[in-house]
Amino acid sequence: MSKKPTAGPALHKVIMVGSGGVGKSALTLQFMYDEFVEDYEPTKADSYRKKVVLDGEEVQIDILDTAGQEDYAAIRDNYFRSGEGFLCVFSITDDESFQATQEFREQILRVKNDESIPFLLVGNKCDLNDKRKVPLNECQVRAQQWSVPYVETSAKTRENVDKVFFDLMREIRSRKTEDSKATSGRAKDRCKKRRLKCTLL
Amino acid sequence: MDFDSPEEKEFPGLYASEAIDSKSKKSKEESDFSEGDHDKHSKKDLLIGRRKDKKDKGKDRGYAALEGESSPEEELDTKSPSKSKKSKTFKFTSSKSKEKREKSRDKEKEPKALEEEPPQKAKEKEREKEKDRHHDEKEHKKKDKERKEKDKKDKFEKKDKKDKKSKQLQQEDASEVEEVLALGYPIFGVSISLATERSRCHDGIDLPLVVRDCIDFLQQEQSLKCDHIYKVEPIKTRLLHYKRLYNNRDNDASVDDIPTACSLLKLFLRELPEPVLTTDLVARFEEVASHPKVTDQQTELQQLLEQLPKCNRTLLSWILLHFDAVIQQERYNKLNAQSLAMLLSPTLQMSHRLMVVLLCHCTNLFPDVKLIKYVPPLTSSSPGLPDNPEDIKTELRKQDSLLTQIHSEMNAGFITKKREEQLWEVQRIITQLKRKLRSCEKKQEKSIDELEHTTAAPPAPAQASQSAAQPTEQIPPTTNQSTVTAPIVSEDTIDSVPTHTVTSLQQHDETNIATSPPPIEYTVDKQTGYLLLSKSNPQRDDLLRLQIEYDELMNWQNELKTRILAERNEIFRMKQLYEQELLKAQAAPTISQEQLPAEGDYERIIEHYTRENALLEHKKQMLGMEIKEERRACIALQVELRMQEF
Repeated sequence: MSKKPTAGPALHKVIMVGSGGVGKSALTLQFMYDEFVEDYEPTKADSYRKKVVLDGEEVQIDILDTAGQEDYAAIRDNYFRSGEGFLCVFSITDDESFQATQEFREQILRVKNDESIPFLLVGNKCDLNDKRKVPLNECQVRAQQWSVPYVETSAKTRENVDKVFFDLMREIRSRKTEDSKATSGRAKDRCKKRRLKCTLL
Repeated sequence: MDFDSPEEKEFPGLYASEAIDSKSKKSKEESDFSEGDHDKHSKKDLLIGRRKDKKDKGKDRGYAALEGESSPEEELDTKSPSKSKKSKTFKFTSSKSKEKREKSRDKEKEPKALEEEPPQKAKEKEREKEKDRHHDEKEHKKKDKERKEKDKKDKFEKKDKKDKKSKQLQQEDASEVEEVLALGYPIFGVSISLATERSRCHDGIDLPLVVRDCIDFLQQEQSLKCDHIYKVEPIKTRLLHYKRLYNNRDNDASVDDIPTACSLLKLFLRELPEPVLTTDLVARFEEVASHPKVTDQQTELQQLLEQLPKCNRTLLSWILLHFDAVIQQERYNKLNAQSLAMLLSPTLQMSHRLMVVLLCHCTNLFPDVKLIKYVPPLTSSSPGLPDNPEDIKTELRKQDSLLTQIHSEMNAGFITKKREEQLWEVQRIITQLKRKLRSCEKKQEKSIDELEHTTAAPPAPAQASQSAAQPTEQIPPTTNQSTVTAPIVSEDTIDSVPTHTVTSLQQHDETNIATSPPPIEYTVDKQTGYLLLSKSNPQRDDLLRLQIEYDELMNWQNELKTRILAERNEIFRMKQLYEQELLKAQAAPTISQEQLPAEGDYERIIEHYTRENALLEHKKQMLGMEIKEERRACIALQVELRMQEF
């Protein structure tokens, strides 16, 4: 799977996080299969792989769709550890889900121990703008605090769905090239750590 | 020195009890255990301080070593399995004599020279030396004590050594830790339940994978018939190689030669900390085996087996049934119960006699155990996912079991790159399986829907006749009581029922019509009460036909109802007659006895009539069906006829 990019196309591992019912699975399924699932069925954990062309280069994306419900929090850590980038999803029609992103961010940083891990804050269900509960500027402020991009999506209309995945993959890719430069370059202990991380992922 | 003797007693005792603990506990958290162990060390460290003040040199070295151990490596150390702990503790207990010290000093130099060697080799040597030391120590213990007291001048020297030793220990620890991390949690040398839990078969059979693989391989016909089975020793390195693979859960390639498979199975059994029959029960098993009556043996064995832990019982059943399969092939492999028991009873830690007894009863003791070949969960390299919903479900169960195991291992800190990759892979397969299962279910639903549609396609006559046929059975009880006195139904009721139902039909039709948008003009035929749509309406004929058919069916229903009532009255009359006859018969019972023919004839006659009756019953049913069909055809014709009237 995470064999170094020498063999086969590069593989980027993306993890979907966020509260229950915000549309993580819907986004994933829309991206993977161009389908929108109306009926809600809580996810425990699902994983997908897809070949995509990222800026003219063929890459593979592994998407891990995690459970929003707290019941499955225990197994989340195991997944977070091996994730390379995170899409932190909330619903713009549900303020609680927006508040919860803070916790997810903390959990990810705790596991990854890396402030600059590729990360996107995603406000889903933007087709329901008339039911919006989370003001746009609040979202942007939070994204700024974390210094991550903020994107609004709609799994239903497919708005920005590809964008979030591709943006994240670009971040992961640039992060990886950065790391490999660092390992070949100076700062030995830093590169040691990095290398460990890189191979680990 | 005052302290010497009590401490020396205390010191080895302490470790010995710990060693026993580690065995008897068999807890999953060996890390916990070693933490506990470490706590003790640090307590010791505290004591060391005191003793140093008192210049107790004899002890100094040993404690120094402990200090070394509880230094930076402690975190890593917590993960080391109890085994390596034990070997270390020997060393510490051993370091007591001057001679000893001198010896060990020499030895310490060697390992340092060897440090460039691959860590494993160095470690093995190290262990051997430790054993030697331990051995020496026992011999010289007494002398040592005396000498120790004279050793005060060695103090400084010792300190040097202390440093050396702690350094060495650190290095040793590091190399050990490397191996330990790779090992994770071993499955050899731990209890059956632990081994089972750590390397599950994911198809619901609770056996350690290594046992399952070996038995699977050996159960093949050519293995069973091979006369090497359980006789030939394998290549040692090969055996150890496989042991390591299984301990690392790295067994992509399972065993592929008979001697290694046999020995690996034996090795697993031999290294169990407790016999398969458990220390508590093994004596009672032996007792039963010496029982003279073979028939009693079996029931008693059965009772004892019930008391075994489940995983022990499973393991026992599988190995015994496998051994039984081996001796079934005596013709080819020259092994019978006696000779196989000779070879294997020591491994199983039971007497020859007991093993023979178990072999003799095993098929009866475990009647529902079948040695099924293990099909491991699919991987991404597998050719493809199953298509059949049932297969998908079983595969899904396996994958789920595998996933749970990966999670629990990762939660326990057994994390490797490979495991993480596997986690994603298994998760992906599960997702694919679930999707596939869902689409299968959808397909099924669709096909069922379609089936229903096709059966419902020519609905008019079939449904109507069904709905008419059902009431014939259901309605009588309600009308029953009122008409019991008048067996022949009056014409009024016949008439009233249809008119009433027609109105309900009207309502029904109206609701149907209401859903179709344009307003519909209709007239009511005064004579029959039928709804008549305007002549231009294409549904006019359909509606008319349905109404006529409904009428006809209702007529039929009423006709049948009257007949049912008539029959009921007949039954009632016959019952009364029967009761009267019964009373008469009781009054004169002797007559009937006289009339009895010979017994053989009687039976023949009964047989004849029962057969005849069955035939008649069948004929009756067939006729009933025919009548029904005829009647249906009649109604259809009647409908067409009446259609002409409008």
